[in-house]
Amino acid sequence: MVRVERVNKSFGALHVLRDIDLDVKTREVVVLIGASGSGKTTLLRCINCLEAIDSGRIWVDGVPMGFHDEAGVFKRDPERLLNQKRAQIGFVFQRFNLFSHMTALQNVALAPTMVKRMPRREAEELAAAQLARVGLADKLHAYPARLSGGQQQRVAIARALAMSPKLMLFDEPTSALDPELVGEVLEAMKQLADEGMTMIVVTHEMGFAREVGDRILFLHEGAILEEGTPEQMFNRPRQERTRTFLSKVL
Amino acid sequence: MTYTFQFGVVGTNLGFLLSGIYATLYVTIAALAIGAVVGLVVGIGRLSKRRLLAALAGAYVEVFRNTPALVQLIWVYYCLPILTGINMSAAVSCTIALAVNGAAYMAEIVRGGIQSIDRGQVEAARTLGLSHFQTMRKIVLPQAFRRMIPPFVNESVALLKFSSLVSVLGVADLTYQAQVLSTTTFRPIEIFTFVAIVYFALCTVLSHCARLLELRLAVSD
Repeated sequence: MVRVERVNKSFGALHVLRDIDLDVKTREVVVLIGASGSGKTTLLRCINCLEAIDSGRIWVDGVPMGFHDEAGVFKRDPERLLNQKRAQIGFVFQRFNLFSHMTALQNVALAPTMVKRMPRREAEELAAAQLARVGLADKLHAYPARLSGGQQQRVAIARALAMSPKLMLFDEPTSALDPELVGEVLEAMKQLADEGMTMIVVTHEMGFAREVGDRILFLHEGAILEEGTPEQMFNRPRQERTRTFLSKVL
Repeated sequence: MTYTFQFGVVGTNLGFLLSGIYATLYVTIAALAIGAVVGLVVGIGRLSKRRLLAALAGAYVEVFRNTPALVQLIWVYYCLPILTGINMSAAVSCTIALAVNGAAYMAEIVRGGIQSIDRGQVEAARTLGLSHFQTMRKIVLPQAFRRMIPPFVNESVALLKFSSLVSVLGVADLTYQAQVLSTTTFRPIEIFTFVAIVYFALCTVLSHCARLLELRLAVSD
């Protein structure tokens, strides 16, 4: 589903991603862990072209991201093409980024109407169904400011799901939440994983990683230092740095 | 104090004085409307990734902010007909001058409003597949407009007061009528005191309407 090949990314002199290779299979849940500044978030943003990569290639479902093949020559995507590609990938942000001037229903219905040109009534029915799916059937007409952090993040998940994405990217979805609200968001993500969604999740929630993740990747200074099943990574990490990191967060 | 106030002169000429309100409001509202549209375009232009466009918009703002409004007024009235060959009434010239001047300030208000919107809002829209234009129209501008209301009202009040400059070119606004009446009655103190009160009342009504609008829009925040 996702293929990342020798991707490099720098911000000025800071080399954030170093020759990253990654393959994610359909229906697989991959969890990225690592210290802050290790490049987890940047990798996620690169897959969605929120950041342009300096070198390497990224494919999602066989489609190259940010580039297209024009008679054997790779060319940078024009905006229209990039928008089409992005519409098929859901992204959930640490800080929710709900549209604050719209109700929960409007937040979720916006992209289907604007991007897929779905009739308004149909889009609103879809939005209501998606909100019900994350347990917010009673909050359709609430504005984000009237919702708790956990509820906002679930609206954000519903908003992404309304576009029927092939892949969902989660960037520390529970880091901005009060501890008692983390559970409801993780529950929604777990449900999504059970339904067979392909997911890449950046998180510090090791319980979630262990329970839901098919594979754990440990990033260190912009490179994937170690990867394995949750069982391997949590019980028998091979690298000293992985052991040190896990001992701090577990 | 040897001066005796005789406010009776205001009462006897009330109709004549208040007839100036029409020109004052006409020039102000027309200049505001044109200025807001031009200001929106220039303000968005300043944020463009196209360097030339951003530079042109920047130059526009600098030129009209850094020259006196009265000079712009006179310049438009005398020079524009020569340059374009189109003859315009004083009222139209004044409206254009106040509009382009106001637009420079509006552009800065628009720019500030847009820049105050969290980047995350734009990123969220783009990850959903919305285009740059759709993001601007549906996400950024609606939120920015709300934040632009208070400075926009400031600018509107300033423009209403600046409109008194049009009297210099003989447009029969509130100030012009007051000048005419002063020279015939020799009662400038009473007359201009009254005119100040009228301006005050107009501006107060304007700010209160805006306050109501702001409260209505604040529901979702």
